[in-house]
Amino acid sequence: SEMSKDMMPGPYPRTPEERAAAAKKYNMRVEDYQPYPDDGLGYGDYPMLPNKSQYERDPWYQWDQPDMRHNWGEPMHWDFDMYIRNRVDTSPTVVPWHTMSKHFLLFLSIMLIMFGLGQIYPSYRPVGPKQYPFNDLYLERGGDPNKKPPAVIHYEI
Amino acid sequence: MAWAPPPSAAKLYRPNRYVSLPAELDPATYDTSPEKLRAEAERLAIRSRLKRQYLLQLNDPNAPAVIENPALIRWAYAKSQNVYPTFRPTPRTSFLGAVYGLGPLLFWIFVLKADRDRKEKRIQEGKLKRAPLSVFF
Repeated sequence: SEMSKDMMPGPYPRTPEERAAAAKKYNMRVEDYQPYPDDGLGYGDYPMLPNKSQYERDPWYQWDQPDMRHNWGEPMHWDFDMYIRNRVDTSPTVVPWHTMSKHFLLFLSIMLIMFGLGQIYPSYRPVGPKQYPFNDLYLERGGDPNKKPPAVIHYEI
Repeated sequence: MAWAPPPSAAKLYRPNRYVSLPAELDPATYDTSPEKLRAEAERLAIRSRLKRQYLLQLNDPNAPAVIENPALIRWAYAKSQNVYPTFRPTPRTSFLGAVYGLGPLLFWIFVLKADRDRKEKRIQEGKLKRAPLSVFF
């Protein structure tokens, strides 16, 4: 576009003058401006903003872009497209995260262990083989009607 | 013997990467020192200057059709074109590059080869039931 080269992001700022120039470029205060640590991952001088989603911003303020909750010219987070309101939400929860995860994992692990134990050691009421009438259903199973079926007695007197 | 004071509500909450601390538990909300007030005033000055620029362009009758947002352009440039010039091979980036680049390739090579070796062994032993070859289904 028609923006000059010094308005675009550049390499990591080394001197305090470069830091001040970068803060001015990104429309931030010099004290607020904190670039990503310089370990060669490709961030350059882009500011490191707090990892909060757009859901946490004031819904009642008149933003320039209300659906994004973002103002014109305000520096965008590196993961801005992740933190939009349709995606990741980092708003504070009613119950702390560690409590929630502990409850969930305890419940899940106990249920899985009990189901596993039930598969390894099944327990049910004792059953015997099923007893069919009419000499073990001789005619229904295709036995010859002219022959005498073998007598099957299921009881004892 | 004196017990330690109970941990603050913010410590009990333990914000992490997935949830942030609510504003009510954050001690910074209740801080009314002059430094904080001056910082807030400076931020407000920057914000109102940007808003004035934006509203002037928005309500301008001779305005262009699209008001370009320099923050958006910088963001897109930083994520796409500024990565290669600012990249530097360090031990960590080389390791990550090897893991993400070669890892899946080698993994699938070994998995598929082992699977096909096992199938071949079963065919040689005659255990695998093979349907007669047909080009129609």
